[in-house]
Amino acid sequence: MFREWKEKEYIPKKQMVKLFIRGSLSLSKVLIKNFFRLKNLRKGEGINYTPPERVYDLPSYSQDMKFIKSDEKYLRPTLFCNPYSPEIIAMANKLGAFEKEPYEYANDVFEFVKRKVTLQIVPFWGVEETLRKGYGTCIHKISLFIALCRVAGIRARYKLYALSMIPQWYDTFISPDPLMVEWYDAMGNFLFHGEGEAYIDGKWIVGDVGPLPERQAATGIPITKFGEDSIGIWFEAIPGGIMRTESIPLGLATGMNLLLRISPATVAKINNNVLALDEKGRKILQEIGEEEYDKRVRKTYKMPKIELEKKSLIFE
Amino acid sequence: MKKYEDYIAEMNNRLKNYIPNKLNHGEESVFKPHDLFDMPDKEANEYKFKAIKYAFKLHYEKNSFYRKYCKEKNVTPDDIKSTDDFIKIPLLPDKFFKAYPSGNEFAMWLATIYTGDLPNITIKKNYGYDEIINKFNEAGLVISYSSGTSGRHTFIPRDLRTFNASEYAIAKSVIGMAYPIWEYEMNGYLFMPNPMKTNVFAGKVCKVFFDAIKSVEVALDREISAEVIQEAMKNSLKGRIIRYAVQRETKKLVNRVIEWLRKKEKERKKIALVGLPFLINFVIEELEERGEGFDFGENGAVLTGGGWKIYEGKRMPVKEFRGKAEKFLGIPPENCLDLYGMVEGNGWMVHCREGHYLHIPKSYYHVMVLDENGEEVGHGEKGRFAFLDGLAFSYPGFIISGDEVKMLEECPVCERNSQVLEPEVNRAKGEEMRGCAEEMRRVFAMDMGGGNV
Repeated sequence: MFREWKEKEYIPKKQMVKLFIRGSLSLSKVLIKNFFRLKNLRKGEGINYTPPERVYDLPSYSQDMKFIKSDEKYLRPTLFCNPYSPEIIAMANKLGAFEKEPYEYANDVFEFVKRKVTLQIVPFWGVEETLRKGYGTCIHKISLFIALCRVAGIRARYKLYALSMIPQWYDTFISPDPLMVEWYDAMGNFLFHGEGEAYIDGKWIVGDVGPLPERQAATGIPITKFGEDSIGIWFEAIPGGIMRTESIPLGLATGMNLLLRISPATVAKINNNVLALDEKGRKILQEIGEEEYDKRVRKTYKMPKIELEKKSLIFE
Repeated sequence: MKKYEDYIAEMNNRLKNYIPNKLNHGEESVFKPHDLFDMPDKEANEYKFKAIKYAFKLHYEKNSFYRKYCKEKNVTPDDIKSTDDFIKIPLLPDKFFKAYPSGNEFAMWLATIYTGDLPNITIKKNYGYDEIINKFNEAGLVISYSSGTSGRHTFIPRDLRTFNASEYAIAKSVIGMAYPIWEYEMNGYLFMPNPMKTNVFAGKVCKVFFDAIKSVEVALDREISAEVIQEAMKNSLKGRIIRYAVQRETKKLVNRVIEWLRKKEKERKKIALVGLPFLINFVIEELEERGEGFDFGENGAVLTGGGWKIYEGKRMPVKEFRGKAEKFLGIPPENCLDLYGMVEGNGWMVHCREGHYLHIPKSYYHVMVLDENGEEVGHGEKGRFAFLDGLAFSYPGFIISGDEVKMLEECPVCERNSQVLEPEVNRAKGEEMRGCAEEMRRVFAMDMGGGNV
């Protein structure tokens, strides 16, 4: 079993272990320091949270639907990512698997997951549940993207990292709760994010399915497309921290579920903030149109590409 | 009172080592004018056009990545025929200087964004950021950085000529604006890392302070590297130890400064407190707690820079700070000036004494305030701060920043004929929190969560 775990990259990479340990230690310290405050925060009096409704219909599954079953790396099922569940097969077929060219299909999967699945902080569950509910964390959304690619025979993997913070993210995810503020400040950078990558025509193509276009509009950033890395466009990954992996590592789900148990009211506040931000962005996009918004905002975000030169450097 | 021309001539005499024998167009635009903030528009525009055109041509010809970028945008130096054409010059987002790789590729990245040839620099396989920077600096360059608040520093490669011009520009901007306060014989306290022991730009550029003022004490007299700052912002054991040590140092520093203030007041010496606002604020808060105060009056001056976040989530209004400086140090508000600049540029916007508006230097630095389409907004409208820097000879200093400002055609209060920015500058929507003061503040905050410093 251990060998299989290792092969499928269930064992967390060194960078992630470090991040987990740091996170757990600093969280423990914050919790001990704020033991009595925590009790009140847990109750979260006056916080009403209703999860968003799913904004798409689930296609029905039939036995004759085509799908690719494989044990090859990046095609097989991994933790919380089972590409062979009936819901996934049905959705893949609805999105045009086996009818469209791989790039076109992957692009449509990207657009579907990015636009239709709402970001919410929730316990870890499988991709079929994410599809049923219509919401999940960025990791849930990446897993769904990956499952929909794998079931159509397109290799797909995770790209995970800790990232730098922009104020709007801070306002949404950190500032709603004094404990989160303390935890964030104690760790410096603990916010975790990821993207999906699909292997098409000999190249890994990245896609940040996490933020809805509405949330990107509300925070004044470009609406990222399939093939476009969010790193370098609107945030930076912490140096040396990018991990590419076939599976979500073991322990990530436990960590997230623990956070939810410790302070559900905090999570409810964050989720409400995300929904409010989506609403704000919706208004912006309705007002000026998505294309026009994106064109405008990209003018100031254009990053020139550079090819590294050695000049007179001598490497030993 | 000394005439302004004599006052600047005295400063030039003290800073003569910064002035090259033969000046290029960029250098002429900063070394020749007497007053960077007040000169006839025609003269200023002539200087500025020559300086910026010279810089643009230089980067276009000697910097392959920037040339490629210009070609993509279909702009060449021949297209820049007057200051009206400045808007055509392709701007780099400030984030560009944060998007660097690690290891040996970091050295190549520095070499690539550097304009012109480099001396031979030997880089070993396992070098980290600081070792690579030190190697470049040993070879005669001045690589400096700032704002690792978000986890990434901004690195800028300056050659010595650019760095000297930048140091001279900051001195001339501040001393000129502070007329007639400055005297070589005055005593200074620098609330910044020791310029000789850090590559943090905000600290390093203060080296000129030691040449402009006879006696300078330094608050942070330790080596502060990129890695130390990064570690200090983390919750690792190393980070905790660094922060604990720094906090202990801070307490000692505050006592040391108060002792110094007592001595200088007794001796009736003229003083200047220069540096990070939150550190100077520590001293003022301690005085408040002790119920102690000073009365320096016209013998005192305060120059701040780097951002106004005092505690987590708390930004101190600059006006409130001036009020406290007057109450506890006896330094009048017109002697408390703030400065706005950034590691990516060599332009220094300084408060005027009369109205505390940030004046923009006229002869070498072209400021534009842009909307989301990259178009210039009208005076008095909010937009992103962008600039064309005629003093950046070693990297393309044509940059759009993440700061949100409002520019006015002239100062509503004083007589100088330069454009001004409204006194306080904020980060634009979607931008990381930054500022050298914020970076240092986090290092100094023992419990980084709630102002428990």
